[in-house]
Amino acid sequence: MENIRNPKRHMGVLMVMLAFVLLVVACQPAPAQPTEAPPPPATTEAPMEAAPTEMTTTEGCTPTGEVKRGGELTLARLEEPLSLDPILITDNGSIYLQEQIFETLVVPDETGAGLAPGLAESWDVSGDGLTYTFHMRDSNFSNGDPVTADDVVFSLQRAADPDVSQYAFAYQAFDTITALDDKTVEVKLSQPYAPLLSAVSLFTGLTVPKDIYQADPEGFGNKPVGSGPFMVEEYTRGDRVVLAPNPYYWKLGADCQPLPYLDKITVLYIPEANSRVLGLRNGDFDVIDNVPFSEASSLESENNLLLEVAPIYKLDYLYINHSKAPFDDKNFDLALNYATDREAILNTVFFGYGDLPNDYMPKMNFWDPDVPLIPYDQAKAEELLAQTNYDGRTIEILVGAGDAPRKQIATILQQNWAAVGINSEIVELDVGTAWDRTVAGDYDVNVSYITSDINDDDELATFQGDYWAAGDTQAFFSRYQNQDASDLLKKARESLDPNERAKYYSEIQNTVYWDGYSVPFNFTPAVTSSWNYVKDFHTLTTGWWWLESVWLDK
Amino acid sequence: MRLLGYIIRRLIQMIPVLIGITLMAFLFVKLLPGDPILILTGGKASPETVAALRAKFGLDQPLYIQYLLFLRNAAQGDLGTSILQRDPVVDIVIERIAPSAFLIAYGSLIAILLTIPFSIISAMRADQPVDHSIRIGGMVTFAMPSFWLGLLLMLLFGLKLKLFPISGWGEGFLGHLKYLFMPSLVIGVYLAPMLIQSLRSSLLEIMQAEYIEAARAKGLSPLRVMLKHVLRNALIPTVTILAVNIGWLIGGSVVIETVFSIPGLGLLLVRSVNYRDYPTIQGLTLVFGVLVMLVNLIADLSYAIIDPRVVYE
Repeated sequence: MENIRNPKRHMGVLMVMLAFVLLVVACQPAPAQPTEAPPPPATTEAPMEAAPTEMTTTEGCTPTGEVKRGGELTLARLEEPLSLDPILITDNGSIYLQEQIFETLVVPDETGAGLAPGLAESWDVSGDGLTYTFHMRDSNFSNGDPVTADDVVFSLQRAADPDVSQYAFAYQAFDTITALDDKTVEVKLSQPYAPLLSAVSLFTGLTVPKDIYQADPEGFGNKPVGSGPFMVEEYTRGDRVVLAPNPYYWKLGADCQPLPYLDKITVLYIPEANSRVLGLRNGDFDVIDNVPFSEASSLESENNLLLEVAPIYKLDYLYINHSKAPFDDKNFDLALNYATDREAILNTVFFGYGDLPNDYMPKMNFWDPDVPLIPYDQAKAEELLAQTNYDGRTIEILVGAGDAPRKQIATILQQNWAAVGINSEIVELDVGTAWDRTVAGDYDVNVSYITSDINDDDELATFQGDYWAAGDTQAFFSRYQNQDASDLLKKARESLDPNERAKYYSEIQNTVYWDGYSVPFNFTPAVTSSWNYVKDFHTLTTGWWWLESVWLDK
Repeated sequence: MRLLGYIIRRLIQMIPVLIGITLMAFLFVKLLPGDPILILTGGKASPETVAALRAKFGLDQPLYIQYLLFLRNAAQGDLGTSILQRDPVVDIVIERIAPSAFLIAYGSLIAILLTIPFSIISAMRADQPVDHSIRIGGMVTFAMPSFWLGLLLMLLFGLKLKLFPISGWGEGFLGHLKYLFMPSLVIGVYLAPMLIQSLRSSLLEIMQAEYIEAARAKGLSPLRVMLKHVLRNALIPTVTILAVNIGWLIGGSVVIETVFSIPGLGLLLVRSVNYRDYPTIQGLTLVFGVLVMLVNLIADLSYAIIDPRVVYE
């Protein structure tokens, strides 16, 4: 006992710590899936009963509905914001909040599927579709400074710069972005690009004040200044963001007064699903997102609680590696589809919330409901299988470790496929490793998902369906090759006629889906729940919500 | 001054150990598949963007250069920039230390408050029904998964009794005390059985000692003998166990932090690993190493308080 310098024991403790770190490394629980980053842009339109767009000019505003102003809202979310600087991030935790703080020239409308004027009151398109001129309204940042064309140009230029922007691909068709005067922005394209307005509304290009940003680029993400309906009062990492109304915000509510209605919004980071649900029931939270499908019906049945199941641009599907045998044979890929009881997956894993997909990408604007669904048909699967040279080898079904629902899907796949003579095993890997192998093409199939960043079909249709597209993602790591699809995608992207585009996309959907591109499981909806006094909280197809139009009836 | 010399020597000894820890953590994490930039960009960014980001975070350098740069910067108090959050790792970690430290200290305190009376009762009534029930009860709470116990407490204290808030860590000292009570209780009832077991057996051992016989013979009451003579002598092994477990908890409280949404180091570590945020993982490993060694140093120093015969050389 006299001399207690005992290095052995300390080493022991340290080894234990190290072992822990490694253990965490080796078997992580499900994190926010990096498979995909989310959707697009900024501020929008008034709530259901609020002013339609033409009323946003100040004169002649007619009240369109009764709302109550004031009050505080607490929103509990699965994901935390990593930074509030739009150029740095790709995670929903950050994007959904940035949409409340910043604006773009054009913004997704109140459903998310359409577009509405944002910082731009109006815009002109030249006859050849190559020049867009945006006329900006008078609006201010939350510090009182006017929003100028310079700020917009600066923000769009950095979003289009592949050296700093992870979403530069969306702006590839942009040739020049210039400020013609204080309130006019001109975008010139190098080729016709139908999704241009959607690209302009993408979150990466959210307008930041150039001077403030350049004075302290590093610190901007912690103390952002924007022109959106809210400004950041407090930002505590890993815990909360407190939003207060931007006193200079231009848009008017249903009562012809400036939005937003609420006095304060506290957005909490509550990663545990059970904790969110308990907190909602307890009255600690007014709204929660990412309600687990297993809890949805019990919340729905409560008198004081509302459940919203909203369609969003998300598809849960089985990635298939077409560069590997036997998946290079279309018959085998179709056999996988015929052999999979997708109805059972929808009912057991998603508790019936969602829709069976007849598409290889999420359900978006040009989705064609008439493309026939591949039915669940074991006999057909066996017949197709007989035409392949599948030798009975064991297929690896990749699943992110700790992701219980996707593991369930994998288990159903394994059983379904065994019934027609396809052997498989489930391989659980941490999400980082699983993703790495998917990118490298070192996988058979992977139970995962995709979401869209932009409310135009082109992004995902091309990413997933065009092997030769710029960006080198090889048909989103599926290595699926179809020259016809690639040609059609180019036409669809360059056509400015919506009817023509619809025709192209329908053909693409039919071709790629029926080529057995993937085994799609669900057009997965977003499920949120709130107390019934929370009015006009709606999830957009892009995944977020316009908090400016939320009000409290209590 | 002997004590001060001892502390300084111990602190200096930490340096090579820390270098060893960071080297191993560095190599193991890099050996794992999973590229932070690919995970971050979700596969959609162009090759140029990915290359630019790699270069920005020095990931295009050879491994040994990356490590040496890390060491050089760490020596200057700079742990690099988080790939995920784009903030200095030092700032991120400092933000997160307080909730974790408060939680662990609070949990340990609850554990100690449970341990001392229960182990004394157990030892004084050894092998009687009270002793058995304490030990079985301990086994039950020790074996309960902490996330489950956490949820049960939330249901009971939060939803039914509405006594405690069920998530977050509150504001101000009193707020922390209130918000962190349930999570700390979970830690407490997990730690206490181990401590009770250890303290009970050393109490029983010391109770056999001759000087205890002497104390009894002096006519001291059993409780007084226990508190004044037995307990003090029996504490040292228990303090060691507590220190080892605090070491575990510093990085291992992640489950509790998740269930109760406490913005601590455990949550940060898991997220950083999932995204392969190398600088943050490195920084956290270093901080964990320092904290564990500090806890052990404090434990060693506390021996002298418990037992004045302990001399530091």
